[in-house]
Amino acid sequence: MRLVKCYFCSSTIYPGHGIQFVRNDNKVFKFCRAKCHKAFKKHRNPRKVRWTKAFRKSAGKELAIDSTFEFERNRNIPVKYNRELWNKSLEAIKRVQEIKMKRQHQYVKNRLKANTAALKEADYEEVKQNIHILEEPKVKKEAKIKRATQVIQEIDMDTD
Amino acid sequence: MIQMGTRLNVADNTGAKEVECIKVLGGSKKMSADIGDKIVVSIKKAAVSDKVKEGEVFHAVIVRTRKERRRKDAVVIRFFDNAAVLLDKQGELVGTRIFGIIPRELRERNYLKIISLAPEVT
Repeated sequence: MRLVKCYFCSSTIYPGHGIQFVRNDNKVFKFCRAKCHKAFKKHRNPRKVRWTKAFRKSAGKELAIDSTFEFERNRNIPVKYNRELWNKSLEAIKRVQEIKMKRQHQYVKNRLKANTAALKEADYEEVKQNIHILEEPKVKKEAKIKRATQVIQEIDMDTD
Repeated sequence: MIQMGTRLNVADNTGAKEVECIKVLGGSKKMSADIGDKIVVSIKKAAVSDKVKEGEVFHAVIVRTRKERRRKDAVVIRFFDNAAVLLDKQGELVGTRIFGIIPRELRERNYLKIISLAPEVT
């Protein structure tokens, strides 16, 4: 089963999915679904469309340069079947995947961490500017006091 | 999806640049032709050459279609243009070279000459 990557969004294309477009200069473009195919037909640049992997990598939102990416690569060297090698590589794939996920999570965490101080600052600023919303308006407060004093006076009169 | 009236590019060196499909061959009820089907074409635009002239009629085999087409291995494939290769009445190639990418469906239809002349087969 051969899995390929979508030209536009870089997601995996499973057999039977998507469409291939062949340009006259022999370049084959593979798309995972009509959404990507349509975007290509509209001459959208995948690096500028925010939901693609290409954008996220070029904008620094995801881990782009890492040694773990070196493992997933086409190697044009035929390898003879070897059960031991097969088992070992299966284990290696799992381990590499684990490390990759860990690094990616850490990368995102670090990226967001840089912003937390700025966000907090912005929140303080907002509260400072709009503090009058939190405090009770003066007129309302005075009216409330007035009403209260009136009630007290009435009670006093009744008791007299 | 080539039908009567469709204009196609020519993917060989006969000198013809654009042809119009004037008949789809292969049955009285066959309305549209796909890759590997034979059609009758009229030359609409041609460069100066001794092989073809504008207004002449040839048989042709379709080699590329813009309409997507599903293969046995579930790959759906679409080409950049509609293109045909000119044939004479005996089914022999008129030209001596083929341009552009050629799908391997033509091999199944026994157009082995086109496959062997093609610069690339996909």
